Amino acid sequence: MRTNDAISGLILIVASTIMIYLTLDFPDFPGQKYGPSLFPRILGTALILCGAILIVRGLSARRAGVPWVTLADWTGDPRRLASFLMLPVLVLVYILVSEPIGFIPVAFAMLLFLFIWFGTRVVVAVPVAAIATWVMYWFFAVMMRVPLPRGILNNVL
Amino acid sequence: MWDAILQAFGLVFDPYVLWVCLAAAAFGMFVGAMPGLTATMATALLVPVTFFMDPVPAIGAIVTATAMAIFAGDIPAAMMRIPGTPASAAYTDESYLMSRKGLLDLALGANLVFSAVGGLFGVAILIIAAPMLAEVALNFSSFEYFWLAGLGLTCATFIAQSDPLKGFVSLLIGLAIATIGIDPAAGHPRFTFGSVEMLQGISFIPAMIGLFAISELLRGVVTVGQAGEVLVQQVGNVFRGLGSVWRRYWRNFFRGSLIGTGIGALPGAGADIAAWISYAVSKRCSKEPEKYGTGHLEGIVDATSANNSAVAAAWIPALVFGIPGDSITAIVIGVLYMKNMNPGPSVFLQNPQLIYAVFIIFVLANLMMLPIGWTAIKLAKQTLRTPRNILLPIILLFCIVGAYAMTNSIYGIIIMLSLGIFGWLLEENGFPVGPVILGMVLGELFEQSFMTSMIKADGSLLGFFSRPIAGTLGVLTLALWAYMLTRNLWRREPATQG
Repeated sequence: MRTNDAISGLILIVASTIMIYLTLDFPDFPGQKYGPSLFPRILGTALILCGAILIVRGLSARRAGVPWVTLADWTGDPRRLASFLMLPVLVLVYILVSEPIGFIPVAFAMLLFLFIWFGTRVVVAVPVAAIATWVMYWFFAVMMRVPLPRGILNNVL
Repeated sequence: MWDAILQAFGLVFDPYVLWVCLAAAAFGMFVGAMPGLTATMATALLVPVTFFMDPVPAIGAIVTATAMAIFAGDIPAAMMRIPGTPASAAYTDESYLMSRKGLLDLALGANLVFSAVGGLFGVAILIIAAPMLAEVALNFSSFEYFWLAGLGLTCATFIAQSDPLKGFVSLLIGLAIATIGIDPAAGHPRFTFGSVEMLQGISFIPAMIGLFAISELLRGVVTVGQAGEVLVQQVGNVFRGLGSVWRRYWRNFFRGSLIGTGIGALPGAGADIAAWISYAVSKRCSKEPEKYGTGHLEGIVDATSANNSAVAAAWIPALVFGIPGDSITAIVIGVLYMKNMNPGPSVFLQNPQLIYAVFIIFVLANLMMLPIGWTAIKLAKQTLRTPRNILLPIILLFCIVGAYAMTNSIYGIIIMLSLGIFGWLLEENGFPVGPVILGMVLGELFEQSFMTSMIKADGSLLGFFSRPIAGTLGVLTLALWAYMLTRNLWRREPATQG
């Protein structure tokens, strides 16, 4: 998804303005003219300047016929579009359900689902998903003592 | 000094450290050889694993893996016409055309040997230059550090990027992200929106996993089904004929390594740019430039030496000043900070054995490259067939667990996901992500040296030029800016992507 530079510039200007606005209530150093707000304000100002140049550049590109938004060719293919969206959605699902359900079942289900979606045969997908989940659990939770969520397997492990 | 060197040998030649390096080497070879997985991504994936190790094995793993990955990128370039990492892109067509002519053995052999020797060349410069520079750097005050960081950031945006304006925006975004959390001078929480976890700032490693791995996966996932064709050809003796190559092209080797070392040491420009520039220089200086682009070895010798020497040279500014030479060393600096080993000249005094250990590991890694690279070439036909539809989901899960392990909470995964999508959007729109990481790493040093200098100079900007080295660096930085502003910033259309 390629947007015209003018849109990127506008987003930059809005975001930097919000950033500078948030610095307004930062305190100063006692006895100094400047404090924690100085550096973010300099950055914000520089970003606004860059945003302005991007808008000028984008508008002249627009006049030359560059569209506001150009979608990559794969977005026309529903299956590839779904593959693309699936990644962030699955991570989001993991964020939401891993605590109550636990790492092992969620990770296994996620891998299995993705393998099959990308066309791996079930006979291959099930053992590979199981082994990959187990190796990762073993390395991080057992060896490195990372408290991966246990969830429903709390009493078993 | 000899004490420290002996101690360093003891640290490195520990069975555990050697085992870690060997495993990292195999990992680096695999990631580098898989198209779509880059050396930076190899580092990003390694960090959660090395996080729990002592400094020497942790750094050793990263050094070995990156050195291997940069070479391994040459293998699919020659066999499939797809560079394994961006650092091999400059001469992918050239080596593929060589393979088409039946010269696959020679192309791979030259890539392997000149990668290793080029890497050793870069390491030699690192070993000579870093301690000398550190001696000078000991006298630096906040003014010098401010200008060094400024110069580094300037190089990162202007020299390295095809569109300097967008590179600069990326950098500012990185610096802005670095301001989140408790500010370094006054201790006031900034942009935390009342969140306790954001007080410590945006955790660096989950951010980096997002920017380099998740955004890469998002790009890769739409082409999962379209693997390239592996050129079916028997790999024979890759070392045959290299003697005459050396006699004919040793000047190219030295020129390529020298350019690679120089560019690697420049902050912000890494192995990929080193390869492009040395290839171009090689063509310009060649007696037979018409042969370039038809499967000619000469340019490959330059470029493959250059990208590996750049890997080592990037550590010069990283170790001496704490200013990363490329995105890999940016990650390394983040790791060093977490291990309370703040890079800078004082490490050379306080922990010289660690610095020598890094040197030894670099030499070792480039020597190990020959046997391990040879094995990788022999196994390439099988490795390159690793189904991406199995690999991508596993990498995704690994990213999730790795990001979680860094904060021991969902917060890490949230950062990873947000910055992953953000990084993907940036790259899609021509904003490079490398400068974002540089900005995030340098943000604190840059702001702190700026604020300290402001207070010392009592707000007078002339104070920033009052010391000789600071003044020189400052003038240099400003001159670069003036030059680029007049020449580049108002250009309407960016040059073609390099």
